[in-house]
Amino acid sequence: MNWLYGISITCFAASYLVAFCLELTRVFFRAPLRKYLINGVILAGFFAHTTYLVLQTQMQLAGTGLFMGSWSGWCFGAAWLLIVAYLWIRYRQPQTLSGLFVLPMVICLIGAGTWLGPELSFPSARARTVWNAVHGLSLLVGTATVILGFVFGTMYLVQSSRLKKKRPPSRLVRYPSLEWLQETSEMLLLVSTVLLGVGLLSGILVNVINQKIGRGVLPWNDPVIISSAILFVWLLISLLFNLVYRPARQGRKVAYLVLTSFLFLVVEFAIVLYAGHATREPELQEKEMAGAPVAAAMGASQLPACREAG
Amino acid sequence: MILKIIGCSHHQSSVEVRERLAFNPQQTFRFLRKFYDAYPQSEVVLLSTCNRTELYAAGQSHDLMPSTEEMELFLADSCGVQHSEINDFLFEHANEQAVRHLFAVAASLDSMVIGEAQILSQVKQAYRQAADLNQPMPLTHHVFQAAIRVAKRVASETEIHTNRVSIPSIAVGVFARQIFERLDNKQILVIGAGKMADETLKYIQGEGGRDFVVVNRTREAAVRLAEKFNGRVADWDALSDQIQNADLIVSTTGASQPVVTLQMYQQIERGRLQRPLFVLDLAMPRDFEPSVGECLNVYLYTIDDLQQECDRNRNARVGEWPKAQKILDQETERFMRELSLRSKGPTIQRLKQQAQQIKDIELDRLMKRLGEVNPQQQKEIEASFHRIINKLLHPPLESLKDEAETGTTGLLDALKRLFQLGD
Repeated sequence: MNWLYGISITCFAASYLVAFCLELTRVFFRAPLRKYLINGVILAGFFAHTTYLVLQTQMQLAGTGLFMGSWSGWCFGAAWLLIVAYLWIRYRQPQTLSGLFVLPMVICLIGAGTWLGPELSFPSARARTVWNAVHGLSLLVGTATVILGFVFGTMYLVQSSRLKKKRPPSRLVRYPSLEWLQETSEMLLLVSTVLLGVGLLSGILVNVINQKIGRGVLPWNDPVIISSAILFVWLLISLLFNLVYRPARQGRKVAYLVLTSFLFLVVEFAIVLYAGHATREPELQEKEMAGAPVAAAMGASQLPACREAG
Repeated sequence: MILKIIGCSHHQSSVEVRERLAFNPQQTFRFLRKFYDAYPQSEVVLLSTCNRTELYAAGQSHDLMPSTEEMELFLADSCGVQHSEINDFLFEHANEQAVRHLFAVAASLDSMVIGEAQILSQVKQAYRQAADLNQPMPLTHHVFQAAIRVAKRVASETEIHTNRVSIPSIAVGVFARQIFERLDNKQILVIGAGKMADETLKYIQGEGGRDFVVVNRTREAAVRLAEKFNGRVADWDALSDQIQNADLIVSTTGASQPVVTLQMYQQIERGRLQRPLFVLDLAMPRDFEPSVGECLNVYLYTIDDLQQECDRNRNARVGEWPKAQKILDQETERFMRELSLRSKGPTIQRLKQQAQQIKDIELDRLMKRLGEVNPQQQKEIEASFHRIINKLLHPPLESLKDEAETGTTGLLDALKRLFQLGD
């Protein structure tokens, strides 16, 4: 099984790229065998992707860090979740061109992960604690659902615009129905809010625990914490708005809500990347010894930036 | 015999023009009456559907029927529009071209959705309406019967009707499916209870729709339709409430003014809480003001909006087109030949009668001169005379038939003069 160690990022990235190109050709011509080809390519990529994640996690857990706590690990993990969602959509809505919207996000995440690098952030010993695991996992899945919400929200707006302009449907590909897109976006909004909420609360808990045992914690005014809190508050407001104000559950409003959530997420990413969160780690570690303030709760704190608390 | 058509169809005119020239059954009846009052020697049929308004007029000669311009003016006047406003959108055909056009229309080869079944019943209905006035219409009877025969032949000998897609089926199967994932939990409001509503409901039911509410000015028709589809009936006065609750509206009334105006919808809109609303306005003139389609989460489709899909449908069936076209060519040629022969019929009849008379007179004279002749001999003599007449008439009659195929009348005129047959 040594050959499995030869699986690289290129393997699954290339598979997804080929699948995307094949999906793109659906717009132009009919090819009976194409769907089998796409399934084959995607499943091959998914296998390589899964193997890569498992092996990297195994290897790094044996060492000092947690692969999923690094930028690249986190991005590849989110991409993997999107591929799972894509496979589900292919099963539920085989005729639709969801791949044209999901696969670019997957490829972008893989590109971002590769660019940001595999620098380790979480010491494996810390990662194995239950609350850290809950914190990390919920934020990862929550972020993936926000991205997926963005994908469906965009598809909704495109489809709604086409129907308003009375454009006839293509005989080759079609969009999912507005009703399906709306219901799915709504569900994703709920799921992402719950997951990011769990991530936030577990992060707070981690920080409180760390404080009690005298480990390093993130200061509460950390830009990552603040921006993550804002993202969660936004999602919560969106959800409440959606539940209380019935028209918000209809049509484009749901799409706008999930799209705005995605924008918040992008801003969050930018803050985590450029606010120098990672560069403060040594300082935190110094403070750790002195029982420094709490680690980050929220969303992004689990992003690679979370290396702080760790 | 002359056949003329003037009219407009989805090929040349927009829905705005067509709805100004549309006739409901009562208006058609009044129009036909008025036409016969003005041109009593003519035959007339008015075909008015959502995609076309066509006026067919026939007569024995040009003198006995209106000119094309008179027909156009009459149509414009009846619709309350200026001739100049519609002139650019009208087409005209005469004789062979007119016959071919009618055949194509009846066979659904000229329809927006090629192969749709409705048009043939609409053609039959148009003819029946004209026939109900009890005016003699030998030529139109002949040509409309032929059109029905051609339509049936095209349907049975080609696959142009296979998987045919009518306007309702495109509207429901293609467009509604892009908005709704399922129809079984949607409230479907039907405004109007005519054939189009019936047809559309069949498709909606086929796609899983169950909850139907029918609203119609005539309650009896609404009840009939609702019973057929296990739906409910609501009063016309409750239309606003029903629109407020509906997810999908099929509107097919024959109203000459919009049934749902923007102002009316805006009053309802608040109560809908921005739920998506798919409106299929299949009426002509339209039942919904176009501006209603601009409202939030309203997807308003009219017949014209189905045009593109119909065009693509037409292209998909292009493989069958030559076969159908061949039938159309054959049938048009056959009909024109028959028509030509029919026009020569009286002359031929007179020629045969004249020959028969001569034969009878000469035979009678011969018998008297011969005196006693046994029955066998008499029979032989009569047969001989008969053969002579037939042999003499056969070449000119064959030549007349040949001429009928070319559509000229020179020989017929010559025959009348040579044998002094009169007109």
